[in-house]
Amino acid sequence: MLSIKNLTASVEEKTILKGLNLEVKPGEVHAIMGPNGAGKSTLGYVLSGREGYEVESGGAELNGKDLLDMDIEERAREGLFLAFQYPVEIPGVSNMEFMKESVNAIREQRGEEPLSAAEFLKKAKEACKQVHLPLDFLKRGVNEGFSGGEKKRNEIMQMILLQPTLCILDESDSGLDIDALQVVAEGVNSQRSEDRSFIVVTHYQRLLDYIKPDFVHILADGKIVKSGDASLALEVESEGYAFLNKVEATA
Amino acid sequence: MSQWLDQVIEQAANLPAEGWLAQQRHMSLAKLKNRRWPSRKTEAWRYTSLSPIEKRQPLTETSDTATVAVPNINGLDCIDLVFSQGQLVSELSSVCLPEGVRVFSLNSADARELADGRFTAIKPERHLFGLINDSLIEAGVVIHIAEGVKVKQPIRIVNVTSGHADNHSRLLVSVAQRASAVIIEHGEGVDDSMNTAFSEFDIAAEASLEHYRFALFTDSALHAGGSHFRLADSSYLNSTILGFGSKLSRLDVDVEYTGENANADINAMYLLAEGENFDFQSCIEHAVPHCTTDEKVRGIVGDKAKANFNGRIHIHRHAQKTLAELNNRNLLLSRGGQINTKPELEIYADDVKCAHGATIAEIEERALYYLLSRGISRSQALIMLNFGFIQELINEINNEAIREWMTELLRTRFARMEVK
Amino acid sequence: MTEQIEQALSRQYEAGFVSEIESETFEAGLNEDIIRRLSAMKNEPEWMLEWRLKAYRTWLEMDDPDWAHLDYPPIDYQAVSYYSAPKSMKDKPKSLDEVDPELLRTYEKLGIPLHEQEMLAGVAVDAVFDSVSVVTTFREKLEEAGVIFCPISEAVHKYPELVKKYLGSVVPRSDNYFAALNSAVFTDGSFVYIPKGVRCPMELSTYFRINEQNTGQFERTLIVADEGSYVSYLEGCTAPQRDENQLHAAVVELVALDDAKIKYSTVQNWYPGDEQGRGGIYNFVTKRGICHTNAKISWTQVETGSAITWKYPSCVLKGDNSVGEFYSVALTRGRQQADTGTKMIHLGKNTRSTIISKGISARDSNNAYRGLVQMGPKADGARNFTQCDSLLIGDQCGAHTFPYIESRNPSAIVEHEATTSKVSDEQMFLCQQRGLDPEKAVSMIVNGFCKEVFKELPMEFAVEAGKLLEISLEGSVG
Repeated sequence: MLSIKNLTASVEEKTILKGLNLEVKPGEVHAIMGPNGAGKSTLGYVLSGREGYEVESGGAELNGKDLLDMDIEERAREGLFLAFQYPVEIPGVSNMEFMKESVNAIREQRGEEPLSAAEFLKKAKEACKQVHLPLDFLKRGVNEGFSGGEKKRNEIMQMILLQPTLCILDESDSGLDIDALQVVAEGVNSQRSEDRSFIVVTHYQRLLDYIKPDFVHILADGKIVKSGDASLALEVESEGYAFLNKVEATA
Repeated sequence: MSQWLDQVIEQAANLPAEGWLAQQRHMSLAKLKNRRWPSRKTEAWRYTSLSPIEKRQPLTETSDTATVAVPNINGLDCIDLVFSQGQLVSELSSVCLPEGVRVFSLNSADARELADGRFTAIKPERHLFGLINDSLIEAGVVIHIAEGVKVKQPIRIVNVTSGHADNHSRLLVSVAQRASAVIIEHGEGVDDSMNTAFSEFDIAAEASLEHYRFALFTDSALHAGGSHFRLADSSYLNSTILGFGSKLSRLDVDVEYTGENANADINAMYLLAEGENFDFQSCIEHAVPHCTTDEKVRGIVGDKAKANFNGRIHIHRHAQKTLAELNNRNLLLSRGGQINTKPELEIYADDVKCAHGATIAEIEERALYYLLSRGISRSQALIMLNFGFIQELINEINNEAIREWMTELLRTRFARMEVK
Repeated sequence: MTEQIEQALSRQYEAGFVSEIESETFEAGLNEDIIRRLSAMKNEPEWMLEWRLKAYRTWLEMDDPDWAHLDYPPIDYQAVSYYSAPKSMKDKPKSLDEVDPELLRTYEKLGIPLHEQEMLAGVAVDAVFDSVSVVTTFREKLEEAGVIFCPISEAVHKYPELVKKYLGSVVPRSDNYFAALNSAVFTDGSFVYIPKGVRCPMELSTYFRINEQNTGQFERTLIVADEGSYVSYLEGCTAPQRDENQLHAAVVELVALDDAKIKYSTVQNWYPGDEQGRGGIYNFVTKRGICHTNAKISWTQVETGSAITWKYPSCVLKGDNSVGEFYSVALTRGRQQADTGTKMIHLGKNTRSTIISKGISARDSNNAYRGLVQMGPKADGARNFTQCDSLLIGDQCGAHTFPYIESRNPSAIVEHEATTSKVSDEQMFLCQQRGLDPEKAVSMIVNGFCKEVFKELPMEFAVEAGKLLEISLEGSVG
């Protein structure tokens, strides 16, 4: 599914990712944890092609295609979905109209017919229900005046609608209370399948109580410094990121 | 062409021809001669008729200077420099100045050096009465605050005029790098006096200026003045402006940013009654990136008074990351009163945040109801609400003595106004 | 990112073709003889000619206005031809079958089929080509309801009393320089009269096309909605792509009598000139409506064309409780310049007005909102709300706001707000991350910015407007 080899990337001439390697197979859920400033969000931005994030060396392939060679929207149409940590507002553009364009652009790429208005509406309503968003959110401007939690749920709603193959969740838990967190996690879990993979980026172990990862990686100073199973997350939870110093010392 | 302007030109031509100031006058006079007298179609005078000035009788004799009292601000410990009837009456040599502050008469050779690149250079040429002032000035002061010197004691420049007298005075202030100062321009005029007081402020890098301008002209007094600021890198201007109205009172404030990361906060208030006029115009030139302007203008207009406000914000090309906000709120209390406002934006850079708002309203019914329901009388409630509207800006004044003086002054004035 | 946005906006002008039509065109120049000839061409009664000559003499005494934020070389009014009409129109074709097929093809190419059976049901069209009206559709159907919809040149003959009563009653001949010029030389345009209590059964529209070189178009529209009636009217306009500037100076007068409502929508897509600023229409338009008691006039405009736009559709709220609305989108690209806005003159009690203006500037263009809100001494309880938003695309354009607010009534409330913004990199990234290409992303964000205005366009016309504009406004309506 996703293969990242020795990826080095910089922002404003400052190197953030320093030779990162990661293999994600279909159906797997990988959690990426790490202290602030480790490069967690950068990974999502680099993979999705955000402007200003320069790849210096290394590579990343999605389903055997060179990801880094594609435009932002091409990557999205290949099935890459990024749930943003801070979703931007687009005044006046309704969620519905936005998602309809997006769904149909991705369907076109897959050689599928565009959805009719009725079909789309049906799917959109279902997606809203799944993340407990009132239906009138479809008519509202994209993220316009949404609370922090509503924005996060809106991201998951979009993920459900777009049916991507690789989902990168960038701190989808930050700023959520426990109820909202469960809603987000349920939304994600409902989408787990044999041919869909997830990269869950988080600072805290809390989210991983609800989204059980197959693998946990610790990202520090632009590299994955430790990998393990779900128990690694608990270790981080009890010991904090301080143990990284030990790891680095032995590395 | 106006007859009055002809007289001004003649009068200017007859002033003494020696000294550096005479040369300056001469240059401005040449420009003034090419200037057309504004009509109602002239945008800058769209809402204010110049006919009271056109009809003004020429001066025959220089008036007596001794009759005019210097206004007092209780509890304010400041250095006063007084112009009365157009003459500088303070003995500059005997004024006790804090360390690092120098004050010169505009005529002096020392002033000439400081004036270079500042005098008539900070004030935009478009102001007709600025050119008139240039051409007629005989008296003025230049203040210099030395590098790094923080002067806490306010320096007040007082302009008082009464009877049938003219007062064309001038101020130039240079605040050197990292220095700070408090300057108060206090103008009062009564009877059928005329005043054109223009001032220029050069605020150097990392310097700051707390500025006040009180344009308290009343009755038949005529006034057209301006305060003009130039702000260098990381400098700061905080300006509070108070205007009363008279037969004709006009004030122009200009801010030009020449260095990045400079800020200006401007608060202006006007409270007009009877048949008074006040015309306040500001122009903020964002010529460089990363500067911030916050301008708040509030006015209350009663009786048959007329307020005009024109607030222009001009973001030049390349002045990216500018933040500029202008807010003008007005209360019109009476039938017969008039408010004209025009907040203007002219923007040539895309990565900026600019907003302006203007409202003309009456007191909010809900607020009034709330006060009445607490047992407050209607008239008292109206005074409280109206005054509260201005009080918000008064509360932002740094200087306590000025804050209290202004509260009292405005309350007294407000109490005389008829509230519906 | 900005480059992508600009690319997305720089589309071809699709209405820029020239129709091969033999025309009868006056030589360039303006004088009293020209006006007499023009009047004679239209077989006008003496009073109409006199009216024109008075306007002309007024115009001679006036100066070109110079207060707008526009920069263009002085216009040589003697270099313009003031009349041009297809020769085939001379015989006054009695039905569509007699109209030159090339003319019909022109409108078809523009997406305006003039055969009734092919047209959008429920929309009647008056097609004006250079100086004459080619055809007005659905006239019989409208006549059944008592609605008059015909070329104004015809109304002068058939309804002289109505024309005499209302022509120049809202925009007097001496109102401004361009209105005076139009009053002297106007050639055609539409006349609408909706009788008392009638809700016009169809949407009415006029489609203006300039074709001939070096001619100006000077149309005049007069709409009278009698007591308690309602009409919705749309105008569209296009012109060929030429290197020379062409002059368009129109006057539109609306009269909404007691309890009447007029909804007037414009989709203006005159040729804007090329990226270097060569060619394009100079569009100087005076539009004004008067509202009597309880009446309402709503202006909606989508201005995307013209090299120069000088236009301020206004409302005189004379009657108590009357309502004025102005919804505007003005998009400038290349070297286009727009100075547009509105005037809301509140004279009556409890009058209400709303102004929503959305300006989008890209490339080297300049886009200014200029508005006047005036609360008269008798406008007790009047209210105005104004929102002016500017969207800047690139760092070479200009966006300006010049609102004049004047109040003389203590119980009147005026609220004005203006903001500026840009299409942010974050917005573009989000859209692209969700699979939209940059063009689609820009058009979606720009459309979102304009939504409040687009939703005011009548449904039937929104489709048509989209076609006229060829700007991808899909999904912006509703």
